[in-house]
Amino acid sequence: MIERSAPARAVPAVARRDFIRLAGATAAGWLALGATPDRMRLVATLTALPLDDELTKRSMTEAATTRLGGLIAGLRQRGWVEGVNFRFEIRSSFGGPDKLKTAVQELIDLKPDVILTGSTGETAAVLAATKTIPIVFATSNDPVGNGFVESLAHPGGNVTGFTSSTAEMGGKWLQLIKEAVPDMARVGVLFNPVSTPRAGRFFLDSLEQEAATSGVDVVLAPIGKAADIDGAIGRFSEPPKAAMISLVDSFLVVNRQAIVAATAKYRVPMIYPFHYFMDAGGLMSYGPTLEVRSADYVDLILRGTKAGDLPVQSPRKYELLINRTVARSLGLTIPFTLLARADEIRE
Amino acid sequence: MNEQVDQGHLRTPPGRLFRKYLYSIVALAFAALAINTGFDVWFSYREQKQLLAAIQREQAASAAIQIGQFIGQIENQIRWLSRLPPELSTNEDDRLNAIRLLRLSPAIAEIAELDAQGREQVRVSRRVADRVGSKADLSTSPAFRGANDSRAYYGPVYFFGDTEPFMTLATRGTGRQPNVVVAEVNLRFIWDLVAGIRVGNTGKAYVVDRTGVLIAHPDLWPALRRSDLTGHADVRAALDGVGPPSSGLVREDLSGQRVLSTYATVPLLGWLVFVELPLAEAYAPIYASIGRSTFLLVALLAIAVLVSLWLSRRMTVPIQLLTQGARRIGSGDLGLRLAIRTGDELEALGDQFNRMAAHLRDSYTTLEGKVIERTSELEKARDQALAEHDAAERARSLAVQANETKSRFLAVVSHELRTPLNGVMGVLQLLDDGSLGEVQRRHLATAAASGETLIALVDAILEYARLEASTEALETRDFRLDQLIEAAADLMRPQAFDKGLTFDLASDATVNISVHGDPVRLNRILLNLIGNAIKFTPRGGVALTAVAQQLDNHVLLHITVRDTGIGIAPDMHERIFEDFVQADDSIARRFGGTGLGLAIARRLTRLMRGELTVESTPGAGSMFTLEVPLGRAASGIAQGALPPPSRQLNVLLVDDDRVNCQVGEAILNRLGHHPTIARNGASAIKLARDQAFDVILMDLHMPDMDGVEAASRIGQLDLPKIPRIIAVTADISSSARERLAGAGIAKIVSKPILINALREALEDDPQDEPAAVQLAAGALIDLHFLDDQKELLGAAQIAKLHQLLEETSERLIDDIAKAAAIGDHKQLARFTHQLGSAAGTLGLVRLFERCREIELAAISMSPAECQSAADELAALQRASMRALDDLLAPAGAAAAT
Repeated sequence: MIERSAPARAVPAVARRDFIRLAGATAAGWLALGATPDRMRLVATLTALPLDDELTKRSMTEAATTRLGGLIAGLRQRGWVEGVNFRFEIRSSFGGPDKLKTAVQELIDLKPDVILTGSTGETAAVLAATKTIPIVFATSNDPVGNGFVESLAHPGGNVTGFTSSTAEMGGKWLQLIKEAVPDMARVGVLFNPVSTPRAGRFFLDSLEQEAATSGVDVVLAPIGKAADIDGAIGRFSEPPKAAMISLVDSFLVVNRQAIVAATAKYRVPMIYPFHYFMDAGGLMSYGPTLEVRSADYVDLILRGTKAGDLPVQSPRKYELLINRTVARSLGLTIPFTLLARADEIRE
Repeated sequence: MNEQVDQGHLRTPPGRLFRKYLYSIVALAFAALAINTGFDVWFSYREQKQLLAAIQREQAASAAIQIGQFIGQIENQIRWLSRLPPELSTNEDDRLNAIRLLRLSPAIAEIAELDAQGREQVRVSRRVADRVGSKADLSTSPAFRGANDSRAYYGPVYFFGDTEPFMTLATRGTGRQPNVVVAEVNLRFIWDLVAGIRVGNTGKAYVVDRTGVLIAHPDLWPALRRSDLTGHADVRAALDGVGPPSSGLVREDLSGQRVLSTYATVPLLGWLVFVELPLAEAYAPIYASIGRSTFLLVALLAIAVLVSLWLSRRMTVPIQLLTQGARRIGSGDLGLRLAIRTGDELEALGDQFNRMAAHLRDSYTTLEGKVIERTSELEKARDQALAEHDAAERARSLAVQANETKSRFLAVVSHELRTPLNGVMGVLQLLDDGSLGEVQRRHLATAAASGETLIALVDAILEYARLEASTEALETRDFRLDQLIEAAADLMRPQAFDKGLTFDLASDATVNISVHGDPVRLNRILLNLIGNAIKFTPRGGVALTAVAQQLDNHVLLHITVRDTGIGIAPDMHERIFEDFVQADDSIARRFGGTGLGLAIARRLTRLMRGELTVESTPGAGSMFTLEVPLGRAASGIAQGALPPPSRQLNVLLVDDDRVNCQVGEAILNRLGHHPTIARNGASAIKLARDQAFDVILMDLHMPDMDGVEAASRIGQLDLPKIPRIIAVTADISSSARERLAGAGIAKIVSKPILINALREALEDDPQDEPAAVQLAAGALIDLHFLDDQKELLGAAQIAKLHQLLEETSERLIDDIAKAAAIGDHKQLARFTHQLGSAAGTLGLVRLFERCREIELAAISMSPAECQSAADELAALQRASMRALDDLLAPAGAAAAT
């Protein structure tokens, strides 16, 4: 990647004059680097997470541990400085369809230059509302199947974005949790049919196939609201020995703390598709590495490239995170094959 | 002229040489610098381009090697896996090994280990669940077959999931039953490599596989779109195995930017690594170099201009000093010293200039002294000449004064002598009362003869004096030349016969003509010549010949009077025409006379523009030759045909005598006029009242009333047009004239009426100006005098006088007319005098004379006379001025040419 000079760090608000001077100087600096100063651009994002979720906080640090932080940092590297030549607006659907409509309408009314969507549900809602405003989806497991794009290489229309785990990952998660819990007889699959691709079927084919191969029963645990979590997980604390898989589901991400707490409470081993769960104290996660390139695409779109011309990017790397402490608390011994595979082992 | 040319040359702009030097040096410097810079830039441009291309080729080759190494590393890793000894290769161990390998090499997405028969033993994947011992038969897969055929298999690039470039890599182990390890490699990891390749600042490298599909690009996303670049000519050429041009290829990249492009081939894989550098950046050093060279060129040029300025000034300033010095020396400033201190030839030249100037100054000083000397001599000579001239002028004016005194004296004396002489003569006539004795009567006759001689003498002196005073004027009219000559001969013939001399008259036929001239003066000349001939011829005879020669516009009368007298000595030939000179005193004593006759004759001759000369030998007689130009008569009397009158007039002839009336009527008819007869004054007045007459011929002596009274009455008739009245009388005494003038009669025709006299009187209408205009120039202007004046004053002065006279005379004529109109005699006399003086300056003799006459008569003139006199003067002035214009105009024209 082409390196750009490090941006001036935004200073906390001191004197207004200082700020203006700084803004002017920064703007001039970005102008020199090819920033387009003609008007203030508007970048909007629609997320399922509540706005007080730490994942929606705009971390101004370099460490792009969150998708949003990565976007802001990436844009800055490309000459877009928030408050100088672009404005950032964030709305949340709070993971449910009731608030989704309002949030989408609010965003459309802002007439943004580009809208970033968090997951499949938000993408579908925004896409239904506008065919002109460019849309970049952060994760979508099956954009072709959902009808978002014509093909991954040539999306067409006003949308492009990034895919997450592929369908085969269902089998992979089962194999990985089976290696960690070799004596498991059944596997519980936690998902919200509303916010999971194809109501869970996207992953379940490969998962069921792998379950058949390895002699494990698949027990679906669909939930519709946060209150169902505890019950859904609690059911797998009793024999026969069970482990669980959390599918790719924004609802689950939103409620990750509750899920992790429930697994600990019922001593149910569970594998997750994102590392966010690990941060909440999950056992293990396997999924695409957070290599956020949405800043790339937002930059290109702000500079005039049509979203439909940009190919949908698939994940390149997958990472396996294991929390040994959690494993130990569950009485699990992590085998070599897992240890050899693990990208990060937390103690 | 040379001086002027030189001065003009020196006035050339002083900067010319300076500019020439300046331009030359600048041009030279510029040419040298420009050529040098041009070559420098050209070669550096070429070298830079070559260098750039070489660097880029290096970069491409380096990138190709890196990519080759990237693949080679993966190949080595899977080869390591395939070569693990079978003891270590239980299925689980194999899986662990494969997992390790996946950890080691992120680009490997999946690893499968096949046994020698192509059955799958282990498959480890990042996305799919691992499979152990599936024994799936993959012996027909290209990877297995490819790995068995050669050491390693490099599969074609394929796109997983539509966007992810992948390739299959397979290697075969060793031993009798070698395993085959097949790896699926995610080529997106080459992106890190490609993005890390630095091509200048903005250049980039990208990778194309063997089929022309883009598999790696620093912007990532173009590679994810399965971009097929075979449409690009250079990619096509590269795929066809055409090597990259040595100096690189300039083309447009994917975004339309012009780039310098080259490529290298990745060994084993056959991929192409293209390296592109935007021209703007690639050539930036070249442009910078050109910019530097140009700046240097301009800077050097500026220095060259400054140096040229300095050099040119150094070279031209002394030359300009020399030029200025030369100019100042040329304009006479010889004291100038040139200060040129250049220490070279120019300084030497300056010194030479100074020396030259010094020499010139010396020469000039000497010359000036000589000039002053000569000038003072010349001044002395001039003063002397002026003094002499003044003396001569004084002497001349004294002489003139003396001559005038003499003339006045003569005139006065003659006049004063004549009065007592008349008394003496009257008394002498009274003495003969018939009682005188014979002796007494003889004495009385002698006294009377002496008196007459004395009167003649006094008359001659008087005439001479008048001539001398130039107061004599010609009175011209038409006359018969033959008659005049015959009358003179008839008059003198008896005297000749009395002395016993012969008298021959030989008149040529050519003299039988009418001419216009002064018959009285001509007669006097003839009588004088004949009288002299008779007087000085004791024996022999006198012969008279006359010939008239017709010339262009006049008649030249040629008369000789030859005698057989005492003759004249040659030295006396001219002196006899001088005043009071006779051949010698003894002659005077013998023949008597005043000695004025010939002087008067010659003067009169000259007055008529003629010449009187003599040829004589003492004792053998003399011959006097008279040549006089005469005008043609207005009428051809000699031819007997009268010219028709200028206009037919109604003429009233008043005469009491029947014969006179008949004769007058006949003459008037003959002249072409229309006569009416009145036999007395009363009927004349009646006729004049009833009919309109142009002219009335009035006899003065009539029984009822005299002509003057009749004329007065007619004048009082208040006619619309008062007829012109001409008196016909035998009495032409001055008292009669005065009476006539008082009655408004200016013209008199003497009785008996002569046809020509009458014709002239009738034609001489004062209203008919042409009559005056027709006056010959010769009669109006004294040509000799005018010639003398011209000689004396010069043409310019004459022209000025002419102009002045024209103005003055016009004004005076106006004044005279006004004075005449109000009857101011004093003013009339004064203006007439002024006009006469003015006219005299250019020899307008007629005008001059007439002015004199009128001036003298003015005091006693009647108003009518004043009016007619003014009219006459006006006409005369016009005629004279016209004649003068004619005379002077050709001369002026000739002078102008």
